[in-house]
Amino acid sequence: MKREEAVKLVMSMLEKNVEGLEMSEDKMDETLVNIGVDSLDVMLVIMDVGEAAGVAISDDEAETLDTPKKIVDFISS
Amino acid sequence: MLGIHSVASYLPRGRVDNLEQADRFDTESEFVEQKIGVGTLPRFEEADSVVSASVEAFHRLCEKTDIDKSEIECVVVCTQNPDNGGLPHNSALIHASLELPEDCACFDIGLGCSGYVYGLSIIQSFMSASGMKKGLFFTCDPYSRILNPDDKNTCLLFGDAASVTLISDTPYYKLTRAKFSTKGAGSAALKKTSQGLDMNGRAVFNFALQDVPKQINGTLSSAELNVDDIDLFLLHQGSRFMLENTIKRAGIPAEKAPIRLFETGNTVSSSIPLLLEEELDKSPRRVLMSGFGVGLSWATAIYEKVKLT
Repeated sequence: MKREEAVKLVMSMLEKNVEGLEMSEDKMDETLVNIGVDSLDVMLVIMDVGEAAGVAISDDEAETLDTPKKIVDFISS
Repeated sequence: MLGIHSVASYLPRGRVDNLEQADRFDTESEFVEQKIGVGTLPRFEEADSVVSASVEAFHRLCEKTDIDKSEIECVVVCTQNPDNGGLPHNSALIHASLELPEDCACFDIGLGCSGYVYGLSIIQSFMSASGMKKGLFFTCDPYSRILNPDDKNTCLLFGDAASVTLISDTPYYKLTRAKFSTKGAGSAALKKTSQGLDMNGRAVFNFALQDVPKQINGTLSSAELNVDDIDLFLLHQGSRFMLENTIKRAGIPAEKAPIRLFETGNTVSSSIPLLLEEELDKSPRRVLMSGFGVGLSWATAIYEKVKLT
């Protein structure tokens, strides 16, 4: 997946699944916890992103994806 | 024809305040109430046991249904945390407590959150093959016996309860379709260790959201039904957030799938009968039940109201 598409996808999935969250470029390096994504939301976002991107994300890999940018890097690599 | 006649349940008197537990685990109360969805957890006290809770459930069943104990030919108990380590099998101990006749088959089955859906099919098949007319199916799985008090993933989630379902040849609901699945390779997601119950929350979450909706829709398709044909969807009450999203992914209208675990928590194989007991009064025409958890094991069944002639 191209990087621009990946950024768009991750931002839209975060906004879709986390109530009240408005994403912007400056939040991409923040930790998910800091931008108000709790541990359950993270699981849902990772699942949705993986399915939409057609990328399998293992439990161990998912544990390391703690910022929006890391999720983007993973699905666009 | 055998099927479900009536259901009763029992919650032990002991209670754990989940918000107090949340404080202990440094977890926000909002997360506990809105995401886990559990405010209070019923807990076995010292005097409680699988047998005593099951007997209490039976007494409640007797309050709503005329039961002639001499007619009971089969007792099945679903638990993975039996009294005395399961020796003797707890169904025999319940048989003794209820003073049931000797001509009565008794056995236990060891399944977790899929246990109610499985167990209903097991007891009905066994009774049917043996020409039996009245049987009791109990669920009671006190996970409090195996919780690690330092593990917030599980301590905030599991409650203790018991249920009993009367299986009868004059049923109100009959089985029309069922599907059973297992992913043994994923069983490490929920297991008992020397420290107690250990749960990989992410693996269980992924399983519930990805595999369960497929089975629900597969069961509907094989019965040539769709979501609109079902009045009530009773899904295992694991946690609020997991349920909400499983329901959404299965394409089930939220109003048809009750989420009711605030005062019970996840009661394992008792969660579906707890709901069913309340919902039967509303006389739904078709009910789909889906239980999923340890194993990984999942089972879905459709029951239909019997037309009285």
